[in-house]
Amino acid sequence: MKRGITPYLFILPWLIALAAFIAYPFAASLYFSFCDFPPLQKPMAIGADNYVELVGDAAFHRSLGTTMIYAAIAIPLGVILAVTLAMLLNSRIRGLTFYRVIFYLPHLVPTVAVAILWMWIFNPQFGLINIILKPLLGMADWWTSAFRTWPVAAGVAAVALPGIIHSVWRRRSACGSDPSRARRPRCVRLAAAASSLSIAAVCLAGIALLNLLLNRAFPLDMDKLHSPGWLSDATPFPSSLPFAPPWALWGLIVMSMWGVGQMAVIYLAKLQDVPTELYEAADIDGASWWTKTWSITLPMISPVILFNVVMAIIGTFQVFAEPYIMTGGGPEEKTRFVAMFIYDQAFQYQRVGYASAVAWVLFLVIVGLTLLAFRVSRRHVYYAGR
Amino acid sequence: MRSIHFALLGVIAAIALIAAFEPRPALQAFDPVKHAPYKDTWAKRTHISYWEKWGSFERDACQAMVDDFNQNQDEVFAHYINTSQVNRKAMLAIVGGDPPDVVGLWANDLPPFAEAGALMPLDDLMAKSGLTRNYYTDDYLKLGEYNGKIYALPTTPTSVALFYNKEHFRRKAGKLRAAGLDPDRAPRTIEELDRYAAVLNEFDPDGSPKIMGFLPTEPGWFNFTWGYYFGGNLYDEATGTVTTDAPENVAAYKWLKSYAEAYGRESLLRFRSGFGNFDSPLNAFIEGKVSMEMQGVWFPNFIRRHRPHMEFGVAPFPTAEGVPGPMSQLDCDIIAIPRGCKNPEAAWQFVLHTQTRGLAILCRLHGKHMPIKNPPALYRQGHPNLELDVFEEVAASPHSFIMPRIGIWQEYLNELNRAFEHVWSWPVPESELAGLDGEARRAKIEQLCEAEIRATLANVRETMQKKLDAKRERDAARDSLRAGNSKTRPAPAKNGGGT
Repeated sequence: MKRGITPYLFILPWLIALAAFIAYPFAASLYFSFCDFPPLQKPMAIGADNYVELVGDAAFHRSLGTTMIYAAIAIPLGVILAVTLAMLLNSRIRGLTFYRVIFYLPHLVPTVAVAILWMWIFNPQFGLINIILKPLLGMADWWTSAFRTWPVAAGVAAVALPGIIHSVWRRRSACGSDPSRARRPRCVRLAAAASSLSIAAVCLAGIALLNLLLNRAFPLDMDKLHSPGWLSDATPFPSSLPFAPPWALWGLIVMSMWGVGQMAVIYLAKLQDVPTELYEAADIDGASWWTKTWSITLPMISPVILFNVVMAIIGTFQVFAEPYIMTGGGPEEKTRFVAMFIYDQAFQYQRVGYASAVAWVLFLVIVGLTLLAFRVSRRHVYYAGR
Repeated sequence: MRSIHFALLGVIAAIALIAAFEPRPALQAFDPVKHAPYKDTWAKRTHISYWEKWGSFERDACQAMVDDFNQNQDEVFAHYINTSQVNRKAMLAIVGGDPPDVVGLWANDLPPFAEAGALMPLDDLMAKSGLTRNYYTDDYLKLGEYNGKIYALPTTPTSVALFYNKEHFRRKAGKLRAAGLDPDRAPRTIEELDRYAAVLNEFDPDGSPKIMGFLPTEPGWFNFTWGYYFGGNLYDEATGTVTTDAPENVAAYKWLKSYAEAYGRESLLRFRSGFGNFDSPLNAFIEGKVSMEMQGVWFPNFIRRHRPHMEFGVAPFPTAEGVPGPMSQLDCDIIAIPRGCKNPEAAWQFVLHTQTRGLAILCRLHGKHMPIKNPPALYRQGHPNLELDVFEEVAASPHSFIMPRIGIWQEYLNELNRAFEHVWSWPVPESELAGLDGEARRAKIEQLCEAEIRATLANVRETMQKKLDAKRERDAARDSLRAGNSKTRPAPAKNGGGT
């Protein structure tokens, strides 16, 4: 008997805290969601009125839409960036520990400090991003217009052409040649130098053409890209797409990418777990880098990707501090996330009951999306143990 | 090993017990002041807590008022506890059953507090102390009133007016005269304001603004009030309806939109992003980037702090042609006694002081006018705000207005700000303008904007009316529930407890 009670005695403080600070508020908020409850008065049961009101509340729909769009972009982008970063950090280069620390550091900076820092970075007039963007795109525009005059275009083509011919020729002859030979003939070395030059020329032509095409296809967006209003701009980007996030939301998305270092460290731990013999076997089979990544690396780290996606779903639906500090929900309420909406209802508009109802809907949405992630993952996630 | 665990458990339990049963320190227990001038009377005084906002010189002014109270009687000692977000903290303290004795709130907070019975009605106490309604400027008293009862009294009042940069006016005197305008006075109608602004504008060679004569978005705090200056309002008390899309409000929004269209939404966005914080030398008006703007009675304090020799003038904000003025939105900070406080009588003694002698000290050191009809004879002498008479004039004007006293005001305000931002940055669809130029193009733009403004404002009205009606229904249900309860239970709980 004594043996039965003792362990519970030890976890008792935690159990009490769990009951008082998690279980009770959890249950109470469910009850309040069926009440009219100004914080200064007693809750009054009103049935499902709060939930009915939610269905028709345009402000709620707006903030749920904002949160969804943010999640739909920030989560995949975050995963891609973090995996890429982890793979880079996994390579064998000098000063690796230093880079790992550098990329993890942003996670240690307090949210408020980060938010205020990024407010300056996003300042349309003095901000770092616009200071870089404007001359960069200005140069691209200048080059595009220069490229459109035929002497320049012909010059670039003249430099690019030998390189293209050389690379085609080398590809053909590569099969027969012996790579281990120490000295190449002089003409081959000359051709190699010419080919690097022409790669540069091809890139320059590519920039000009890409800029030209983008300017033709999205003249308004490309014009805006020179100096976006970021956090104070409510116009969508790209403007022709439905459900495109406004510039202010893009700002918050870009900012959230700053913190992917933390996710990358988790990926990195798993990457180092991937057995090297798999790569060796693939090398023997002559697999390319891309095949190895797609068929070995990603499947092997897929459980961690699932974990990070689930954490990101929960995290993005709770985004509060950054928009609260940086935009206050504006411009035009386009960065009022659901968590902010809940806060406003409870503490600005004195409607704790309604806020509780929204919180429960948010909870169900998060649970639903998490279950969906698990369901989808069944086919794509590989657990070595099973 | 086991005994160590038990010892640890014992320590935790002991800490929990001490935390649970330790008595709360009394107000008089931890104040170093008890060795100062109050030494003899410290113990026999009733100590009350006064939660109030303010920072910087405004906090010092409040402390001066409290000190004056403490020095001039020996029965009560008021402790000024400087509190940020005082409304939310007071709310939690009242719900938790441990409120301060006196609390300073914003007028916006009154409806929810009064509705919940969280504040003591002051009518009887006022009558006993000889404080009459007639003592106060009507609108300021109204801000502390709810359903016919007074729950709070005004402390520092605010009113707004047009601030104009006299240096800019002087520099452009010739051009102003050429345009038929007087450079020695401020504009008196909205139409005149537009003409002054057009002359005062300055642009960089690339066409981006350098100085704007007037910018409706600066400082951007009063965007919900523009309709009033065109003769409109936001809520009709008589019918209890929301009137967001009244023709006067539509006219005001058209006027606002004309600024966004005339100077370009994008370039104004960039221009505005270069403005610094309000309380800084980079404030757009103080720095001289905007020549005229709507600001409050507090503003001269901040001009003096950051650019002491700036030459500026103040005049009532212009109204549209045919709309009577002078006009201003009036607001104030209020002081109240929470229900359930420990020393209501001592609290009233303090509140009474804040309405008489204390009021003069506080308002003067804040650089503001007084919220009463007849300030003391010497109040204006040596007053730090040299433009006081303009603010007194607009505060006393019958045309001035206060924000609607409805329970959903905060939500309404949010929707109005959203509507303003939407209209301001709404891009006129280029496809509709194809093939038009000159006057025809301008007319088409105006027509398109007007349609969008009407739709936006109508949407706000519908949303808010629905919210207001729903709130009224809930309140009625609550009232009938309370009436039902009081029949079965003779003594209903007076303190609006939460959980």
